[in-house]
Amino acid sequence: MKILKLELLKLRKKTRSWLGPILVFWLIMIAYPLTVEFLQEKLEIGFFSVLWIAILISMMLAAEDIFTEDFNDGTLEQMMIKSSPFSILVSIKTLTYWMLIGVPISVLSFIFSFGTTENFSLSLMILPLSLISSYIFLNLFVLGNALSLNKGSVLGALITMPLALPVLIVLGKSLTAIQLDINFISFILLLLGCLSIIMVAIPLVVSYIIKAHLE
Amino acid sequence: MFSFVFNSFDEAIYMNGHGIYVWSVLIIVTISLSIFFIIYSSKIKKIKKKLNESN
Amino acid sequence: MIKKFIHQFASPKTYLFQVDRFYHYIFYISLIIYVFSICWGLLFTPEDFVQGNSFRIIYLHVPASFLSQSLYAAMAIASATYLIWRVKLAAYLVIAIAPIGAMTTFIALVSGSIWGIPTWGTWWQWDARITSTLILFIMYLGLISLHNSFSNFEKADKLLSWLVIVGAVNIPIIKKSVDWWSTLHQSASITLTDKPSIDVVMLYPLIGSIIGFFGLVICLVLLSSKNQILIREKNKSWIKDYV
Repeated sequence: MKILKLELLKLRKKTRSWLGPILVFWLIMIAYPLTVEFLQEKLEIGFFSVLWIAILISMMLAAEDIFTEDFNDGTLEQMMIKSSPFSILVSIKTLTYWMLIGVPISVLSFIFSFGTTENFSLSLMILPLSLISSYIFLNLFVLGNALSLNKGSVLGALITMPLALPVLIVLGKSLTAIQLDINFISFILLLLGCLSIIMVAIPLVVSYIIKAHLE
Repeated sequence: MFSFVFNSFDEAIYMNGHGIYVWSVLIIVTISLSIFFIIYSSKIKKIKKKLNESN
Repeated sequence: MIKKFIHQFASPKTYLFQVDRFYHYIFYISLIIYVFSICWGLLFTPEDFVQGNSFRIIYLHVPASFLSQSLYAAMAIASATYLIWRVKLAAYLVIAIAPIGAMTTFIALVSGSIWGIPTWGTWWQWDARITSTLILFIMYLGLISLHNSFSNFEKADKLLSWLVIVGAVNIPIIKKSVDWWSTLHQSASITLTDKPSIDVVMLYPLIGSIIGFFGLVICLVLLSSKNQILIREKNKSWIKDYV
């Protein structure tokens, strides 16, 4: 809890790191209607695809400098020496980023989808989907960033983006399920299952990767 | 089991209009495999030559 | 015991000598089997009732597609071996396999696209199997670029191995994509559990082409790993004797 508070405080002070991805998400969602003819039906067709991609890109940006500063100033090395498992620290760090970036983006997704579709129940279902998917994406990009710690975030994003694509496929399918009113809960459960595996496995792998960097 | 299913060589090439697809895939596979064999063999030769020179 | 066995038989030196001993046998036998099976498949099997002669692409497409996934699985096993038992040879194999895996995936994608034109009426469709194979291809490229971005080989090996293991979750997704999603791509013609959905006249050359292609790809892996060993172990005294 103490570490979580500390990490939250640290991230809150780095306004650019948490506000940047949210603003990029906002801009993408605003720019989208400008690129299609102003007809409600046409707007709705591609809206959700743009939404998932916008979440993906925002999470990619969010994870961009998650370890860079700590790596450069030696904080990571100090944290590793400490007795508490390093993977827990990675989980807390990811959770902090998700709370400050992922959650607001998910709330925005709900607002934008309600604004576009004018369907409250549909938009309400988008909320858990975007909450879960943003956390999954964030974890994956954290892994990418850990791999390419001092090589720039583009490489990290490139190598982990393929892992995010199956999640995008599931998101697309779950939306179809919502619209056709079939079996939506099973998709949520599938995503939750993926998330639970990712939440445990990725911080563990990331901790080993960072150790390899510091050796 | 081993009877030639086409009446002529031209027919085997043409394959009722599908020959272009089948033979182009065969060419791609052959080229890809050959390129990789050539690249790796030449790389090994180069390294061996370098190591021999440094000895 | 496993550790002792691995360390005894997986020293780069022993491996290199074994490669030189067996490479030519594997290469010529595989080449003969492959050429024979391809000729058999392309010229001596009857035309497919539905797909016509375009079905013959199966003899080129299926081996590549099968190998594209198997090679990734092999990389994952090698990565685990490297991370658990610290076997250097396993790390060499991981990076040696990556470009060959990319090549087989490329062949699978291109041959599949060409096959799609006469059978589906389109060369590309964003369906589950094709998309997941494309993802696999991008992953191979990502792995190669990650390894190339580090000048410290040991660090690169460790990071690559971790990424390969994490990325292995995509393999069952690709394998099962044709069963899990409604897709244009047909289900597997040969499985370990069910009777093949393909006639024996067409099946035998297919099995032959898979075995032949597998052998040729093994030869490529042997060459590529030999190349890696020569680069990495160039300062060792036994390499000088070997050369």
